[in-house]
Amino acid sequence: MSALLRADGLGKRFGGLRAVKQVSFELAAGEITGILGPNGAGKTTLFNLLTGFMAPDEGRVEFAGKVLTGLAPQRVVNLGLARTFQLCRPFVGMSVLENVMVGCLCPRVRADGGGAARAMELLRMVGLERKAQTPAQLLPYGDQRRLEIARALATRPRLLLLDEPFAGLGKAEIDPLSDLIRRLHAQEGLTLLIIEHKLREFMKLVTRVIAMDFGEVIAEGDPEGIVQDPRVIRAYIGGTEDAHGAA
Amino acid sequence: MTVRRDLVGAVLAVSILAVAPPLVGSSYLVGVLTVAVIYGLWAASWDFMSGLTGRENFGFALFIGAGAYTAGFLDTLAHLSPWWGLAAGMAAAALFSLLLGFPTLRLKGPYFALAMLSASAIMQRLMLIFWETTGGEEGLYGIAPLFSSPLAYYYFVLAATVASVAFLVMLARSPWGLILRAIRGDEATCLAAGIDVTFYKMVSLIISAAFGGLGGALYAHYQLQVSPQLFSVVTTITVIIMVYVGGMGSIYGALGGALLLTLLTELLRDFGQWRLLVYSLTLILILFFLPGGLVAPLWRRLRGGGGR
Amino acid sequence: MLEILLYGAVTSAIYALLAVGFTLIFGVARILNLAHGSFYALGAYATYVLSSTLHLPLALAAPLAVLCVAGFGVLLERVLVRPLRGSQIGVLMITLAASLVVEQVLLITFGSEYRNVPSFIDGKVAIGHVDIGGQRLLTLGVAVVALGALLLLIHRTRFGAAILAVSQDPEAAQYLGIPADRVFAQVMGLSAGLAALAAVLAAPFLTVQPGMGLLPMVKAFAIVIVGGLGSIPGSILGALLLGYSETIVAYLVSTSWTELVSLVAVLFTLVLRPAGLFGKRAAF
Repeated sequence: MSALLRADGLGKRFGGLRAVKQVSFELAAGEITGILGPNGAGKTTLFNLLTGFMAPDEGRVEFAGKVLTGLAPQRVVNLGLARTFQLCRPFVGMSVLENVMVGCLCPRVRADGGGAARAMELLRMVGLERKAQTPAQLLPYGDQRRLEIARALATRPRLLLLDEPFAGLGKAEIDPLSDLIRRLHAQEGLTLLIIEHKLREFMKLVTRVIAMDFGEVIAEGDPEGIVQDPRVIRAYIGGTEDAHGAA
Repeated sequence: MTVRRDLVGAVLAVSILAVAPPLVGSSYLVGVLTVAVIYGLWAASWDFMSGLTGRENFGFALFIGAGAYTAGFLDTLAHLSPWWGLAAGMAAAALFSLLLGFPTLRLKGPYFALAMLSASAIMQRLMLIFWETTGGEEGLYGIAPLFSSPLAYYYFVLAATVASVAFLVMLARSPWGLILRAIRGDEATCLAAGIDVTFYKMVSLIISAAFGGLGGALYAHYQLQVSPQLFSVVTTITVIIMVYVGGMGSIYGALGGALLLTLLTELLRDFGQWRLLVYSLTLILILFFLPGGLVAPLWRRLRGGGGR
Repeated sequence: MLEILLYGAVTSAIYALLAVGFTLIFGVARILNLAHGSFYALGAYATYVLSSTLHLPLALAAPLAVLCVAGFGVLLERVLVRPLRGSQIGVLMITLAASLVVEQVLLITFGSEYRNVPSFIDGKVAIGHVDIGGQRLLTLGVAVVALGALLLLIHRTRFGAAILAVSQDPEAAQYLGIPADRVFAQVMGLSAGLAALAAVLAAPFLTVQPGMGLLPMVKAFAIVIVGGLGSIPGSILGALLLGYSETIVAYLVSTSWTELVSLVAVLFTLVLRPAGLFGKRAAF
């Protein structure tokens, strides 16, 4: 299988701090890959570099054979690479359905038509169809995550980047969300890249893990191997994050 | 359902506006209503860009003035048919919007608000400084009327405004308007949804400017003169207050707010110097106690059902 | 040459006093104060009332006027801005409304005719071959001292440390026991006082009428955009740039074109370097 996404020597500096340095990896189509790392490891910055929300100081990103580096975020989305935010940012003052419809209006899918009907279908897929008319900002946290995912799906991505989808969720919300992600992967053939540090659920979900610390990739491999990697254990025990459920 | 009630409400409101002058039979009322309707067009145009996207335009008077002066110049200097002035006024305002929108709308932060306010204030100064061409404080006068009868002109202004506002309301309720409201909600999320935020803001500013310019040209042909006051910050604030009274983001509410405020201030006519003070105090009260405005929320309650 | 140097310095000094206050309250509290020009107008009118109507000696009237306007700034922040501070739009609208109220109240009280504010120094001073009004030189001197004192205040005192802490992160400052709300009000007072100081100094050689605050405020916007929103050194440099460009344009072309300088400067800055000379990243 050829690579769907290729990051090559990505680097980003904030003043004196090198938030991301020399990050290279490849994603094959159809994979669910996880990015693991303690807080401040540069995971979200990496997402911002991949999706055009920030321009890298060095390195390049290739997606489906096209160079993404330097493209504006909306251009990246229209090439089929969508993302969610760690902090949900629904459109305030608009209903859940309208929130998803905005995604249906991007150039990539607009010509397909369908508008409200397609948005409704996506809400059904993520299990929000009964809250379609609710103002988005009134949704409980877990539902806002689903809304984020539905809005991203509306742009019909080939690769979906999820930024800490489980953060702040309780056990009762985590399992259905994991199921949803698995279903998207199995039924829609979506390739996924997920940032997380809730280890237990995460490790059951992903097929491959890229571990980061201090802005660098420190290990890469399957979930079973990665939790035994001494560098990863050191990053987690030495870092701010407690290693609950790491083993 | 709500659409039909909206239509009924619109037809009712327009009929009242059309029937009132002949019924009352006062030429004074015709004048007041003409100005009120033009203000309504301005308020609706302001609301289309700023109310929907949340990017406050504090220099809207620039577009009004550009439209009015363009119509004035074409009529008094070039002696073209006054009808050209309407189109040229729209085009001139659109040109200004391009010039100021392009550098400012792609930026985060308050640059758009500051640049627009500065540009309109400076334009007003320039009108005074280059008085040989612009007529200075007196401005341009002797502009030809479009119709010989003021009542006929009122109907023309009413028709132009109703058509423009209907167009803007339809656009605001279309997918286009949905995107503009999403931009107000969160620009980053819009980008993540694949929407070119700058493009949509830019085009809505051009549309807003063009209709503001049309209003300016209509105003020039009503007053038969234009003065630098049109460019003033006070003009912009007056329009914004009307939108706030009407309720932001509904477009028709802005028209209602303009009519309400113009007619109410006619009652205060004997206290001319207090008018602006009353306006600004109204704005402060609305900001604190009625942030959703008056006209649009009232209509939503009357009409029932959801929607805007 | 010397003429341009001197007059440009005076203009820059007035602009700097205005722009620094405007950028300060934005940098610290994220308040974009569209009523900043009102402070300037109020400063001039307060001096006028205290000296010409109440016949106080100018040496007493001038500082009193500055204090009054500073108090008005604190009041404005407390009463009108604070309840709406959560929304940027709300702050813009309420300060704009406040500025309109001030202008109208001045108009109704004093009428639209020009008023004369007495100057500290009446005569002219000859420097080289240039005759320059003593009041202008005084303006330049006092402005330089005031700006120097402001920088000392911010970088050398506890109050300054509190301002810097709040401007970095109001919430974190709150945890450290710095009352962010009080700092906001104090900085608003400081910002208003600086604008009033500019007015007290410049009013004798400028026209004093109710709408006098608008254009200087527009200049302050331009300076702050050129220098970078929120940066004090940026706004001082911006003031020098704009003050001198205007003076040079006035001498070489004509005074008519000076008003365009700030607009062109703003547009150029936003196209070429949106964050301004000293600003942080402002663009997407």
